[in-house]
Amino acid sequence: MENTLLVGLSRQVALARQLDVVANNVANLNTTGFKSDGSLFEEYIGPTARENGFRGADRNVRFVQDRGIWHDMSQGPMQQTGNPLDVAIEGEGFFTVQGPNGAERYTRNGSFQISATGQLVTGEGMPVVGEAGPIVFQQSDRNVMISKDGRVTVNEGGSVRTEGFRGKIRVVRFARPLDLIKEGASTFRAPAGLAAQPVATPNLQQATVEKSNVNGVMEMTRLIDITRTYTQIASLLQQQSDLRRNAIQQLADVPA
Amino acid sequence: MRALHTAATGMMAQELNVQVISNNIANMRTTAYKRQRAEFQDLLYEHVRRIGTQTSDQGNTLPVGVDLGSGVKTVGTPRIMTQGTLSPTGKDFDIAIRGDGFFKIQKPDGTFTYTRDGSFDMDAQGRIVTAQGYVVQPGITIPSNASAVTINTQGQVSVSVPGTTTPQVLGQITLTRFINQAGLSPIGDNQYVETPASGTPTDGLPTIDGMGDLQQGNLEQANVEAVTEISDLIAAQRAYEMNAKVISATDQMLSSTSNMMR
Repeated sequence: MENTLLVGLSRQVALARQLDVVANNVANLNTTGFKSDGSLFEEYIGPTARENGFRGADRNVRFVQDRGIWHDMSQGPMQQTGNPLDVAIEGEGFFTVQGPNGAERYTRNGSFQISATGQLVTGEGMPVVGEAGPIVFQQSDRNVMISKDGRVTVNEGGSVRTEGFRGKIRVVRFARPLDLIKEGASTFRAPAGLAAQPVATPNLQQATVEKSNVNGVMEMTRLIDITRTYTQIASLLQQQSDLRRNAIQQLADVPA
Repeated sequence: MRALHTAATGMMAQELNVQVISNNIANMRTTAYKRQRAEFQDLLYEHVRRIGTQTSDQGNTLPVGVDLGSGVKTVGTPRIMTQGTLSPTGKDFDIAIRGDGFFKIQKPDGTFTYTRDGSFDMDAQGRIVTAQGYVVQPGITIPSNASAVTINTQGQVSVSVPGTTTPQVLGQITLTRFINQAGLSPIGDNQYVETPASGTPTDGLPTIDGMGDLQQGNLEQANVEAVTEISDLIAAQRAYEMNAKVISATDQMLSSTSNMMR
């Protein structure tokens, strides 16, 4: 008898979680290199109270549970910024950065800075990992150029124009990019067993950033969908409750 | 519900975004102003069902997890230090830098600030000073009988003195550069001071080591582009509205829950 309430409740809890995901996507509409999330649901088949081996058996009660959240790894739109230290990856691949505890993290946010010691770092100060260690600039370097394959070159000091090579940005890919775990600060972490492989021909765009791939219209549609479903279930539960109240009142109404 | 707070972080971030954009637009005509950009990152995730967890003794693992994000944060408002266009003014003491250097300015308290705003003037003692009256380094004093001040691309200040035919060289304006220009801290009046993030200043002469050359009779315009700022403003406003919609949707859901109780 309580099943309607509980089944409805399971859907409402899942919807509340889905709303959290949509809210996080919308909050990150303008976050560089952000990848939007989507929810997956599955049914949970409840155990039956009675034997169901004969005809007219009890039907299984099916609840809803959210099974997972997947990352939409599609390309975000490119925005030209004119800043020479902004790099965007076209197509697949991730920049490798060194996380707070020395472990490697991966990001699509190529809005880099130069640290006080001359290292190429992310906005959070995590060093960008090159193919041969960190990328370090000299005090007199100017006109930073980043080629499509990630070679970082500069014009070295002195009045003579000499080109200096400062390292190659490491761009990696994963066999199963959906397995990457979001760690905040626009970075991902690879779970155990998922190894980063180098991208043979990365396609980098200098002076460009990849915007968030959240689709505002899509998220608003999902939002309406979530609210309406939630309200419908609320009214369903309401009706169920009314039904029961009426039943109790009428059945217990002893005629005089 | 978490969604309320998540959307609130989104609204706060977009509010700051609009603030940065409005400051850029307000300074569109400020000499040598460098535009800023608000940079955002996602906040920490709560791993409700961790990906890769074993689901059975046979070694089956969860292919997808449940990671709930908690919104957005502002990571910084880096300055875009690209060159602004030069516009000729014809004034002798207007100097623009074409390159990475900064003018070094001494404040009355003896400390140094750095600026790319080269709209200088001469004070009563004949020194080259900023609009605030601070001396441009190294202090170059122009004799009162001098005429036709020329500042060449290398920063040499020369004047014509009555009675001589060759121009007299008074000194050379020095420039300063930083490895991380975006790390300089703005203190207003178009001036910046060094910070641990900017690195230590390197003094040098114009045209050497990427300092850039000087252009007399020109001023560097702000590097703000109206089209970029307006389109960013529209995007920020829409993002703000969408976050507000999430809040009202969450509110609606909460109210439908509380209405169930009568």
